[in-house]
Amino acid sequence: MTAAARPATRSPRGRSRSRGWLTALLFLAPFLAVYLVLLVYPLFLGIWISFRDWDLMAGDYGPVGLLNYQDLWTDPVFWRSTRNTLYFALLTVPSMTIIAMLLALAVQGPGRIRAICRSVFFLSSVFSVTVVTLVWQMVLAPDRGLIAPIVQFLGFTPVNYLGSTTWAMPAIVVTTLWWGVGLPMALFLAALGSIPKELYEAAELDHASRWSVFWRITLPSIRHTVILVIVLQIVAQFQIFGQPFLMTQGGPANSTRSLVQYIYETSFRDWLVGYGAAMAMVLFGMMLVFSMLQLWLGRQGDDR
Amino acid sequence: MHHSKALAALALTTALTAGGAAGAAEIQLMRFFGDCQNEYGNVNDASQANGECGIITALVNQFNATNEGGHTVVVQTADWGAYYDLLTATYQTGNIPDVAVMHASVLPDFVARDLVTPLGSLFQEAGIDTADFVPAALQNASANGEVYALPFDLHALLFHINMDLMQQAGFVNEDGTVRLPTSPEEFIQMGKEFEEKTGQNYFATESQANEGMMVRFFNSLMWQQGVDVISPDGTTASINSPEGLKAATFIKQIYDEGLADPNLDALGADQAFLSGQAGIELIGTWMVDNFNAQAAGGQVALKNYAVANVPNLFGQDAVWADSHMWVVPKDEGRSPEEQEAAVAFLKFLNDNNFQWSRTGHLSVRQSVIDSPEFAALPHRSSYANTAQIARSLPQTQNQRAIYNAMISDITATWLAGAEPQAALDSAQSQVERILRRSNRGG
Amino acid sequence: MNATRSGWALWGDRLLLAITVLVAILWFLPVLWVVTMSLKPNSELMRSTWGFIPYPFTLQNYADLVRLATVPRWLTNSLIVAVGMTILVLVVSSLAGYAFARLQFPFKRTIFVLMIAGLMIPEQAVFLPLHQMFADWGIHNTHAALMLPRVAVPIGVFLMMQFFRAVPRELEEAAELDHASRFTIFWKIMLPLSVPALTTLGLFTFIHAWNDFLWPLVSATNANMYTVTVGLASIQGNFAQTQGLGSIMASAVFASLPIVLLFLIFQRFIVAGVAMSAGK
Repeated sequence: MTAAARPATRSPRGRSRSRGWLTALLFLAPFLAVYLVLLVYPLFLGIWISFRDWDLMAGDYGPVGLLNYQDLWTDPVFWRSTRNTLYFALLTVPSMTIIAMLLALAVQGPGRIRAICRSVFFLSSVFSVTVVTLVWQMVLAPDRGLIAPIVQFLGFTPVNYLGSTTWAMPAIVVTTLWWGVGLPMALFLAALGSIPKELYEAAELDHASRWSVFWRITLPSIRHTVILVIVLQIVAQFQIFGQPFLMTQGGPANSTRSLVQYIYETSFRDWLVGYGAAMAMVLFGMMLVFSMLQLWLGRQGDDR
Repeated sequence: MHHSKALAALALTTALTAGGAAGAAEIQLMRFFGDCQNEYGNVNDASQANGECGIITALVNQFNATNEGGHTVVVQTADWGAYYDLLTATYQTGNIPDVAVMHASVLPDFVARDLVTPLGSLFQEAGIDTADFVPAALQNASANGEVYALPFDLHALLFHINMDLMQQAGFVNEDGTVRLPTSPEEFIQMGKEFEEKTGQNYFATESQANEGMMVRFFNSLMWQQGVDVISPDGTTASINSPEGLKAATFIKQIYDEGLADPNLDALGADQAFLSGQAGIELIGTWMVDNFNAQAAGGQVALKNYAVANVPNLFGQDAVWADSHMWVVPKDEGRSPEEQEAAVAFLKFLNDNNFQWSRTGHLSVRQSVIDSPEFAALPHRSSYANTAQIARSLPQTQNQRAIYNAMISDITATWLAGAEPQAALDSAQSQVERILRRSNRGG
Repeated sequence: MNATRSGWALWGDRLLLAITVLVAILWFLPVLWVVTMSLKPNSELMRSTWGFIPYPFTLQNYADLVRLATVPRWLTNSLIVAVGMTILVLVVSSLAGYAFARLQFPFKRTIFVLMIAGLMIPEQAVFLPLHQMFADWGIHNTHAALMLPRVAVPIGVFLMMQFFRAVPRELEEAAELDHASRFTIFWKIMLPLSVPALTTLGLFTFIHAWNDFLWPLVSATNANMYTVTVGLASIQGNFAQTQGLGSIMASAVFASLPIVLLFLIFQRFIVAGVAMSAGK
């Protein structure tokens, strides 16, 4: 996606310019209204609240300066949650990108079988997070899950994946991969479909191997999509909430508590809305950095 | 005079026969305890129900079917872990329930912000005798000399025991009572001996980070050493004290020595105990009725069930306890009829306090405790004095946050191999931050 | 694929296809398993949850579900919210997208940049203040409260703008000569052309709305206003303790049916739409 705005060429006729503005305003009004009221204003309200001791149930206790941000600095759970969120993104984003690309390569092309496979891989992403976590809690259960009998057959003792500080996060990553691979796969499919056929035909005349065709033609052609997928995934996975909230409640021993879950808990369990708002602003800042990275990377690609 | 009396009588009859025309109200009840509409949706007699969920479901049905005002109670249940988040959110979103269940440990947060209705005079009008409440319960329900809640029970931790396994391990005295450890060292040593002789775990409890049964145990062990986790004025914590280290080291040792399975969640611990894979389960009073019924039913490996107080391991008798209570959340939009219905429902619950105590909870009404039917309930004599040794944190705010912070850090000692001192230091610093917040000027 | 391919390549293709099919089957197993469990009696599931054939077979779990009427109510709420939000997003985005693509107005560039900046505001940065605002307005526990926070999505405007820009100008200019109003041109010419773009945006909005979790969790606190996602979470918490496993699985399957049907009907639009929006 190119984010650069290019103003449309000016209309050659200058008739009733003010009427044109009025028309434009009417077209823009609904969006501007919701945008300002439901996104811009709350953002600034949030920044304001983050400098106050704001109690969910009792309201505003007044300004506290930077206290909320100071508390963040010394709050081990905040740091742990940030680390967990980064760790989760680090595990999920590359594997999601690679798996989505492999699946797209595998199911691209004509034929009924491939079409059905496409549907199967995409289907799991329409389920709601509650259904997905329910399914995977069952699949991963040590006593009656789907994986346990296989592990037992191979001669190992089944692990309580969600109850282990080592395995809980990877288990949530696997759940997320199963749930979320459909969209990036579709993006890759679209990109693969738009590679000119001539490129492949030329390679075929050269008797290039499958492997070298992938590295020399396919990958360079979908370079932009790879970056797009990675950035979209970073933004999406930073906001992880439902999976650990429903599968492990953040445990065991804080090993899966995500930043968004901690914001939710601080605000709605501990009633510290001001403190929660400060955390939300830190999350916003982190995501802003990655969004900037997106713009920068996109521009780098265009310069070539 | 005569005339109007006749009219009143007529009005009363109409009201009764029409199923409540004037003054009848529909009120919202919010609670945890689970949803068992499938099993108890049609049970109108609380004495026919079992377990927390069954009994409270049947009590509501019974009230709806029999109350003279024609009131209807509509129930919204929430999962235990999400309950207070939901109740809190209702104040923001507007569907404030008319009656809600609340732990004694949570009440201070709501009282401090003026979020629950004072009930003293309403109780008096309705004929609820607050003098009948045992002192601890009345104190839990009160603040600043006013009553804010109807206490419903006192619940504490207990040792639930598989006597067949104890017999096998040789831990049964000649009089048929079980022999329990009297010190941490003895606990570990008896545990090892038990496992050698029976091949099963000595101990089982919810060990994941969900409910924090072991934090309640930790708090109990602190009181047994004469230390309050939170000072009575609610300003300081002594989690990382030498006593705390002793308690946390002991708890970690239970897992390190293999005496308990760290993978058990709440359901898993119950299953392990019922299927004869653990000699002792540490869980609260609420399981007594359930375990007793299961053992008698003969479907499970547990045949010979007994209960005991959490033993004194560190010098003083003490055990963690909390209390379920009912409150009427403040709501400006509530009509007088709805408030009247809410109080009528509280009165009904209080009148049927005995039914609730069948779960295994301790009754909060002296008249129920003294009644022969209460004494006849199974196993009650084994933990009759729990009420005397029961301890709770002082009535400070943010106990839920404190509890959750302690759960994360203390469970880390066996789930993530954290060193006890480091875990306690971390918990201490978090709890201090929370206490600072709850003691602000507001 | 191609007749000039060597035999090795052909076998390689077949092997890859076979592996793909195997992975697809494994991928689908959890879904199949859940459907199977939902068709078994609760008592059987207490004994064993293993197996992919629903034997002994029962429809009781589904019968209970419909009888209790809670899940159908959640479904209705989810449908109202998802459909409502989709319509609102389409209206708002296409109008604004058209303005950015074709109309002239002062500060256009500034407004556009401000809108793009909005792409970077995550939902989590605003959900706390939004919750306070909606509480002040007293509109929590309404369908509107569940829809509104997601209507202000700059990405929708951006997509529609990209689409409208690609439409040849000649189509509009003919109408302009007939002195048709801007809105007539938009309504009669541009909207019919943009059906594929609207379908894509609509589908993604719908799926997003259907699966939304954090906001409905804090906004819809009345059980009558639960969406499917929140409702299922509310019964999942104490699963197997007070509810049978089969009943829970049946609710999950039942709650997923509408969105799965929608997906099966519209799936070719999804891939085509992704191709359109990503091909830039």
